[in-house]
Amino acid sequence: MSEFLPYPLISLLAGAMVVLFAGVLEERLGQGRTKEALSVIFIALALIGCLILYKDVTSQPLGVMVLSIGAEPPLGACFEIDLLSVFMTFSVVFLGLFAVVYSFRYMEHDTRLAEYYSLLLLMMAGMVGVALAGDFFTFFIFWELMCISSYVLVAFRRELWGPIEAGFKYLTMSALGGVLIFLGMSLLYGMAGNVNFAYMSVGIDWGTAGVWAYLAFILLFLGFGIKAAIVPMHTWLPDAHPEAPSPISAMLSGIVIETGLYGLVRILFVVFLPNAVLLPRGPETFKYVVAVFSVLTMTIGNIMALLQKDIKRLLAYSSIAQVGYMLVGVASGTTYGLLGCFLHVFNHSLMKGLAFLASGAMVYRIGTRNLDEMKGLGHYMPVTTMALAISLLGLGGVPSTNGFVSKFILFGSALAPGVNMWWLTLIGVLNSAFSMAYYLPIIIRLITKPAEKSSELKEAPILMLIPMCIMAILIIVFGIYPRPVLQLADSASKALIEGLQGYISKVIP
Amino acid sequence: MLAIHVYLTAVLFLSLIGLYSMAFKRNMIRILLGLEIILNAANLSFIAFSARFTGQVDLLGQSIVVMSIVLGGCVVAIGLSMVLNAYKHYKTLDVRELRRLKW
Repeated sequence: MSEFLPYPLISLLAGAMVVLFAGVLEERLGQGRTKEALSVIFIALALIGCLILYKDVTSQPLGVMVLSIGAEPPLGACFEIDLLSVFMTFSVVFLGLFAVVYSFRYMEHDTRLAEYYSLLLLMMAGMVGVALAGDFFTFFIFWELMCISSYVLVAFRRELWGPIEAGFKYLTMSALGGVLIFLGMSLLYGMAGNVNFAYMSVGIDWGTAGVWAYLAFILLFLGFGIKAAIVPMHTWLPDAHPEAPSPISAMLSGIVIETGLYGLVRILFVVFLPNAVLLPRGPETFKYVVAVFSVLTMTIGNIMALLQKDIKRLLAYSSIAQVGYMLVGVASGTTYGLLGCFLHVFNHSLMKGLAFLASGAMVYRIGTRNLDEMKGLGHYMPVTTMALAISLLGLGGVPSTNGFVSKFILFGSALAPGVNMWWLTLIGVLNSAFSMAYYLPIIIRLITKPAEKSSELKEAPILMLIPMCIMAILIIVFGIYPRPVLQLADSASKALIEGLQGYISKVIP
Repeated sequence: MLAIHVYLTAVLFLSLIGLYSMAFKRNMIRILLGLEIILNAANLSFIAFSARFTGQVDLLGQSIVVMSIVLGGCVVAIGLSMVLNAYKHYKTLDVRELRRLKW
């Protein structure tokens, strides 16, 4: 059964190979910019592929498409895509485009650029594969593809001690997470007899599963939680994100940790929650576990961010807090809550991506990440400062930015009748207000008058400014007119919950 | 043929050994070895479950294990290359010396 080809995935994988060869040839011949141009072309092709997939999926009666590789499911591996997969793919490719354009100037003094662009494309291919996967086997292979390339990218500047130290920490923790997912997957395999999502959803004898189901859930939650930086499994993130090159920080913070969240949501809503009523106190357990971790994550992320002096480290802690907000939507378990969750995934990828890119441009000019030494930088780099200010206000959830729209939906979802988690809304709103206590001082510090005049500092290069300006404009546009993204996220969340029967019946005739 | 509980007990002990090694060992290479031990526990679990259903071996479980061995090899290769670079910077394999990044 083959209804489609995974165009974005093919384009990115082919791009990774072509860019590598082009880059190596270029190094032999001398200077050139073919590899940069090629990576942008392949990412643009992937974006077009995304649109084709969107058109194809919406034209299906069930809203689901299946591509099996080798044998038919359950024995063969398969891709199964619904609108949620398309939404995640779109977010990945969209942010990747900005990050690659930004890398042109940011990485120009580094060597081994062919490997850099190739690995960046491979990391995106891994995330796209995770989003499209229809069984755990495919999922795990692309998951490891994403992880392995991101380890190398974090430790890319190996001549410095910081990236190596952060990279080793990231590798041990994240690989442990991958192994725990694999262990949990083996338990699900032992219960269901195969690893296809749809077959696992209906094939497990939940009446006798009991403890084993909870054990599998704990292992999977720990594994995805390490990747999604849920407190207390977050300790790799504040080291890895600041030490990575800025475009990579933007990718890691903007979309890689959300891929962990996507994995958790997919497995929770396809396998565990539909059958949770069969377990003793099932639905409450799953929801309250997520809710408690959500509170922990946002509170500790915000408190730790307040204590930071390093701008990228502060943004890394703020990412942890934002994952906490997204978990509110997952804990509510309704379509409305998931709408907020996915909308925030997209909005956060824009906002946090922009924040890392803009602070990276400042680091590129002044060579330090210390906030105290950035005082008055706004007078030399007005456009960059403006972009950073917009992204920080968006992260704080100021109305007329897109962060407000998604946070409004997220916190509102916990109040809905039937969910009844008002304490989650209360803590979330307080946290969101509290987070302004570290966003605003950055803006104030940047726009105060500089102590002495310096003529060496100037605005960031134009190739860095273009992606930053587009992202800043998009943040405002989607804040005032959120309708297009809102509709997309809405249909994605509906595909996950209301489309579940279609998702299952497409594979099991 | 042994009962599946024997294999699952072995999986449990292997996982505990690996977790202990990752949490308490100071040598970076031993940490990577601990990682590999947990991965092998998961592989063993797949192999044990693959013989559970049909009476004969389920192909799916076996093929997953073959892929996972390859992936585990990749992860450890990257990890060892990082250990090598860390040794160049710090002149030691003691993971407690890698504490220059603040919390």
